[in-house]
Amino acid sequence: MTDTTSPITQAHMATATPVAPGRTPWKHEAVGFVLGFAVLALLPLIFGDTYARHILIMAFIYAIVASNWDLSLGYGGVFNFGHLALFGIGVYAYSLLTKLAGLDPWIALLASGVIATLAAIVVTIPILRLKGIYIILVTFGFAQLVMQVILSQSEITGGTQGIVRIPGLYWFDHNMVRDAKSAYFYIALALLVASTLFLRVFVRSRTGASIVALRDNEEYAISRGVSIVRQRMLTLAASAFFTGIAGAFYAAYQRNASIDVFGMSLATIILSMVLLGGTSTIYGAIVASFVLTIFAEWMADFGAWRPMITAVLIIGVMLAYPSGLAGMIKAVWGAVAGRIKRPA
Amino acid sequence: MSALAEILFGGLFQGSLYAMMAVGLALVWTTIGVFNFSHGVFMMLGAYVAWQLVELGLPAAVAFPVAVVVMAGVGWILQASVVRPLIGRPNIVLVVVITTLAAGSLIENGALTIWGPRSKQIPALIDGNATIGGVGVSLHQIAIIVITPLILAALWMFLNRTRLGLALRAVAQNEDASHLVGLNVTALYGLAFAIAASLAGLAGIFMGGYRFMSPVMGSDPLLKALIVVVFGGISSISGPIFAAYLIGFFEAACSYYFGLYWTPALLFGVLILTLMVRPEGIFASRSRGLA
Repeated sequence: MTDTTSPITQAHMATATPVAPGRTPWKHEAVGFVLGFAVLALLPLIFGDTYARHILIMAFIYAIVASNWDLSLGYGGVFNFGHLALFGIGVYAYSLLTKLAGLDPWIALLASGVIATLAAIVVTIPILRLKGIYIILVTFGFAQLVMQVILSQSEITGGTQGIVRIPGLYWFDHNMVRDAKSAYFYIALALLVASTLFLRVFVRSRTGASIVALRDNEEYAISRGVSIVRQRMLTLAASAFFTGIAGAFYAAYQRNASIDVFGMSLATIILSMVLLGGTSTIYGAIVASFVLTIFAEWMADFGAWRPMITAVLIIGVMLAYPSGLAGMIKAVWGAVAGRIKRPA
Repeated sequence: MSALAEILFGGLFQGSLYAMMAVGLALVWTTIGVFNFSHGVFMMLGAYVAWQLVELGLPAAVAFPVAVVVMAGVGWILQASVVRPLIGRPNIVLVVVITTLAAGSLIENGALTIWGPRSKQIPALIDGNATIGGVGVSLHQIAIIVITPLILAALWMFLNRTRLGLALRAVAQNEDASHLVGLNVTALYGLAFAIAASLAGLAGIFMGGYRFMSPVMGSDPLLKALIVVVFGGISSISGPIFAAYLIGFFEAACSYYFGLYWTPALLFGVLILTLMVRPEGIFASRSRGLA
């Protein structure tokens, strides 16, 4: 059962942990990257109605949040359970900056990313010396604290009422809701492209390699001169910037902010996107975000049963394929490839 | 005088509830090495099961123990379905977080579907009020303050004086050796979850007796229990108990002097300070690793 010393388990561990980043030649990845996002950019040609585009915009936002979480959780091995709080900080930073401070929406969008990054640096300080479950506890507490502060400062943040009529983004004189939201669609896509590019370059760099080294063999990595303090702070800060921007975009798009973004249900959904997609891939989280968002819409008829069906499915996939959908695809691919190769 | 009495009483009362919750979390963590994020949902479910039994006409004296036993069964089933199959996997800590979160969401939404969103209340342990040291208190709260230490003492006796309890602690200390000496580790894992779930269920029954119940009532106590275990150290049973009362007093004092809104922020500040100075918790021995 728990014979972690047996050779079978060790072999399993070896395959379950992804190898160092940068194995695929970068040219191959660049071609795939451009092709993949070109397909996404052409989607509005097929999905013309506002509702379908709304679903896609939400999928893009979730994909940004989930893939950035994969950086700290998957690559860094830091169990940051305050990731959704960084998203929420983005939402509220944008709302307050545009509504109370009257800042330009685009500047507020950038500023929200910076504020989320600063918040990530603050939350990293207490977890620098901690490992595993203790990081979960502290970051979870941080998320709850942010929520409590927002709730208690209700004269500024609206408390449980939230904030309404938040200024949206603009694009010269273009009317943002015209053409079935295509402006918001392309802004969301551009943010996802920028975020994914940033994440992939980051994890393929030497810094990315050192972060993975810290995760897989901390003592050895430290002995080779990798600073755990600097790298951990860098990981969390890097994962926060686009998460905060995604939060700001969410607020600009929805035109309202509510305390629900700190709730357990959203955190569970996003976390299951990261884990279902398979950690330490970035792309896995993005694909899983699309799959889960579209799946959730498809199940809209089930009403109250929807969260329950989702929960059962998450448990089922995690029990059957602990490395997520990526592991499932690999297993299927392995079986198919094995059959093709055998006759030759 | 009345200020002191109020803080003392509030601290004892909140501390009792936190201790009941935190002990279960710590018990599961020490024996299985996973963190149960559906612990708050156990609390909610315990209260609803008790409410349902009372509604069916059972007297509270029967309904409450039955609800606690039912919760032990729920804990066992949850362990067997979403935790046991994952044991031995390399990333078990993370995967169990998501499976217990999902199971919690399943139970929470199930409770919402079955019982609806309307708030309910279950009968108090003892009706009536009293005035002690100039502070008006309900006898229900007094009963909780008295009963909780008895239950925790019984748990301590069980873990330290009975064969079964010693077996549970043996698994917590060295799982491979427990296998070698022939302990049924799988059953002991189930037992740890069952005890944790019934303690949480009892806490839910206590809470449902003085506050309105809702399907999300477990999330705040879960958060407080998390803070308590971080503060007291998770790798022992007694650490979280002391920490629970300490946090209870701290919270009572804070909300008396600084108001209810600032209490969570102050609590978190203390938590960060504790972690920076003693990451393993203030009541934990330094010997055990933090992984």
